Amino acid sequence: MKTETYKIIGMTCAACAKAAERAVRKLDGVIEANVNYATEKLNVQYDAERLSSEAIKAAIDKAGYKAEEELQSKEVNIPIEGMTCAACAKAIERTVGKLEGVESAVVNFATEKAVVKYDPKQVRLSEIKQAISKAGYKALEIDNANKVDEDKKRKEKEIKTLLVKFIVASVFTVPLLYVAMGAMFWWLRFPLPSWIDMMQYPLNFAYAQIFLVIPVIIAGYRFYTVGFKAIWRRSPNMDSLIAIGTAAAVLYSLYSTYMISIGNFGYVEDLYFETAGVIIALILLGKYLEAVSKGKTSEAIKKLMGLAPKTAIVIQDGKEIEIPIEEVEVGDIILVKPGEKIPVDGEVVEGHTSVDESMLTGESIPVEKNAGDRVIGASINKNGSIKFKATKVGSDTALAQIIKLVEEAQGSKAPIAQMADIVSGYFVPIVFVIAVVAALAWFLSGESTVFSLTIFISVLVIACPCALGLATPTAIMVGTGKGAENGILIKGGEALETTHKINTIVFDKTGTITEGKPEVTDIVTTNIIDRDTLLRLAASAEKGSEHPLGEAIVRGAEKEGLETVKVDRFSAIPGHGIEVSIEGKQMLLGNKKLMIDRGIGLQALEAESDRLASEGKTPMYIAVNNELAGIIAVADVVKESSAKAIEKLHKMGIEVAMITGDNRRTAEAIAKQVGIDRVLAEVLPQDKASEVKKLQSEGKKVAMVGDGINDAPALAQADIGIAIGSGTDVAMESADIVLMRSDLMDVPTAIQLSKSTIRNIKQNLFWAFAYNTAGIPLAAGLLHLFGGPLLNPVFAAAAMSLSSVSVLTNALRLKRFKPYK
Amino acid sequence: MKKRIIIIALALVVVFTLSACQTTDVVGNVAKSSFEALAKAIPEKIVFDEVNNGWALESPTGERFVWGKDFSAEGKPDLMLEFDARPFLTAGLDPSKLPADMYIYENESDKLKIYTELGNTTFKYKGEPTPIEAFNNIVENHRAVVGYHEKLDHYGVALGNGNMFEWAKDLATNDKDIVFVLNPQPFIDAGVDPTKVDGWVFAKVEIMDEKGKPIEVDKLLKPFNIR
Repeated sequence: MKTETYKIIGMTCAACAKAAERAVRKLDGVIEANVNYATEKLNVQYDAERLSSEAIKAAIDKAGYKAEEELQSKEVNIPIEGMTCAACAKAIERTVGKLEGVESAVVNFATEKAVVKYDPKQVRLSEIKQAISKAGYKALEIDNANKVDEDKKRKEKEIKTLLVKFIVASVFTVPLLYVAMGAMFWWLRFPLPSWIDMMQYPLNFAYAQIFLVIPVIIAGYRFYTVGFKAIWRRSPNMDSLIAIGTAAAVLYSLYSTYMISIGNFGYVEDLYFETAGVIIALILLGKYLEAVSKGKTSEAIKKLMGLAPKTAIVIQDGKEIEIPIEEVEVGDIILVKPGEKIPVDGEVVEGHTSVDESMLTGESIPVEKNAGDRVIGASINKNGSIKFKATKVGSDTALAQIIKLVEEAQGSKAPIAQMADIVSGYFVPIVFVIAVVAALAWFLSGESTVFSLTIFISVLVIACPCALGLATPTAIMVGTGKGAENGILIKGGEALETTHKINTIVFDKTGTITEGKPEVTDIVTTNIIDRDTLLRLAASAEKGSEHPLGEAIVRGAEKEGLETVKVDRFSAIPGHGIEVSIEGKQMLLGNKKLMIDRGIGLQALEAESDRLASEGKTPMYIAVNNELAGIIAVADVVKESSAKAIEKLHKMGIEVAMITGDNRRTAEAIAKQVGIDRVLAEVLPQDKASEVKKLQSEGKKVAMVGDGINDAPALAQADIGIAIGSGTDVAMESADIVLMRSDLMDVPTAIQLSKSTIRNIKQNLFWAFAYNTAGIPLAAGLLHLFGGPLLNPVFAAAAMSLSSVSVLTNALRLKRFKPYK
Repeated sequence: MKKRIIIIALALVVVFTLSACQTTDVVGNVAKSSFEALAKAIPEKIVFDEVNNGWALESPTGERFVWGKDFSAEGKPDLMLEFDARPFLTAGLDPSKLPADMYIYENESDKLKIYTELGNTTFKYKGEPTPIEAFNNIVENHRAVVGYHEKLDHYGVALGNGNMFEWAKDLATNDKDIVFVLNPQPFIDAGVDPTKVDGWVFAKVEIMDEKGKPIEVDKLLKPFNIR
């Protein structure tokens, strides 16, 4: 099984995306294929044994588009020293070209540079440099400034080309309109040269229009080349509609010109060159605005990509060497001075500083970093010099992962998009049929050819499905991008859509509602042991424990200067506690259930236990040699934002539950403190998922918010899993949404973002459908049937362009989304 | 891109060449050919008018359209309409109240004449002057007075002040082969009740004013089916 992403070039509407998708899906060996019109990307999952990448590209090619493999490859410009002739250049080309993973190597002897395109997954830059050295030359520092961002360049070129085309079209369309329509707007007193007077020199009048429309047609030639090709391939697209509509106008006008030339001057009224000109100019304007707006929808990802620094200072043999970030290897010791960006992920080995991670987490307060702490690439070192060991480089860094995640999310489709996709797929042929039927019907009803032609053109032009194709992906792009900017990583369109339906949220308690760093608050003993001994033994038993409660006990003992002793035997009883053997004593540490299961009487401390639990503390029972020895109560601090976030969720009409392994009293005390509606207490880690399932069986749409490995099954079970904080990798992997900060306010923000995005998508779809459903009957002459006006094709073109632009503008409104604070 | 620029340039050259060429003046050309067809259809009705130094096309009831042989001739009308004054007199015409610069009432013959001077152009002829050649000279030298009336599929020569002579582009299909068109206003001002002018139709006609605005104006019309 292989998954690949291709850049699809040449799509102009959602129908194109559908056609390309169909072409790939038909291939034997394809498991899944999705084309996103907004991102212009094809994600395809296929059986590599049955299908090759070339076959996929060929299928796309046959469908009329061009597929370029999403550049895993990089292009670098390596300055080379030591070349003396052109043969040297050839030799280097040969040597580098032979390396596995090098796509191309072009060495320019004159500039003394090698332009190498390579796949970093297969070959490292340092290997390329080594190969050059082996060939007898010296590879110098790569020229970062010359790195080619092909995609960016292509986009910019596309926008520029569209602008130039629009300008050309406008420059000729405005006078064309002036010549053609001037006489009709007599009150505006347009002066026209007498030699193109419509009544006196009708042929000149027609020729002048032909002269003016030719450059416009050339500016819009792509509509014809692509549109007619698409018809030929029986997968008509938006260009086909424009091509047929405007070609019909031009051809009929040419016929009218011929009729004028043979003396039938009445045909001077039947010239529609300006209709074709205005339609092309307006569609080009629409396409230009669409390209600009589409660029804006992916600004978030561009911002993320721009965060990474270009170089890193690596300590080698005690010397500071500045190298390109691409050359940093895992294990390198990197020096970061105040004010500099941390180049890759790593672990501080020396120094102390505070780091601004806001660009990745949205957290505005700098985080203190000492030896042993993790640092994230692209964050900013504020005030101290640190040395850290690189632990993750290249595509493994958190930033690269975030970018990948956001890119994947932006390229994914929400279920709501399916309807639009289905409609878009059938839209063009249906519109064509409607146009033909409407025109024929009017013609048969006794209307003139010109009238029928107007109907035909108007229907074709107004019904372009661009807006329909852009409605969902653009909103998802902006929505997920906005989320990423605020430290909310939404993993896909489906997650984004489901989130807005959530009516119940289950929060894990420890580390989610609370800080996750509990402290020992009370120690109660029976008469068989003293306080310090109890704490010392308990800390010894929990030493090495990763359970937050255990850690709290260890910290509590450390605080009091108590030394722990070696444990002879240790066994964990998941969800209940531990059983150990210390200094010849059998000890049980755990919850009430563990004690009851082992038949240990709790009566002596029952009242104390209840009191502690009612105060929101977690009582840990300790039994020595099967006799209750005492209780150590541990309490976790509730996060500042928890109550506020829960209140916000309540206001949003969402029921909030808390799930915990704690006893019910403790859980309820915490729940009361923050305003939780429903408490799921004394739940074993393995049962968290089934608790979520129970809620789902009540018909609820459940989101689970958690941070630990033990939350992963529940996160996966929930309709939406939300992993919080830096969390564990497993939790992040299982979650649909990852919150980069530990702030619970990001939960309502994520839900609100989802609601806003889905509302935006619905608005977009409404407008896209409204334009078409209202526009088609209008263009088909429905109003005229009841004595109303007929829609001029020029206005149809304007409405069509406006529909795409309005949908994009609406999607861009999401950029104004403000997170809750 | 180069190819496209060449195509544009070629297209511009072709269009300019064609535009500059007289052959693109289809109205003028068809006006000439249709007038020739008219003249050939009624050769007996076209005679040289010595007095006015031009040719006259006469309607079955005696109205005449006269066009000059040479506009440089002194004291001769370049274009002229001539018709019976009696229906106008009966309808209340006081000839002395007609504008003297364009209208002439001949008491002896009871004729009304509307004439116009277009300039002093000397017309060139290949051989002996013919009425058709004379007309062609008018089209070529005074193109602005020749026009096409789309509604009736007529060509016309404008004498100015709303007076015209029109003929059908296609005599075979048009039931109004020639039409004398008069502006009724000067007659109304001279006491004529336009509805009572015998033999003439008082009707509204849509025309374009000097700004190109379509307007409906009153006309006195006398159409003939001459075939």
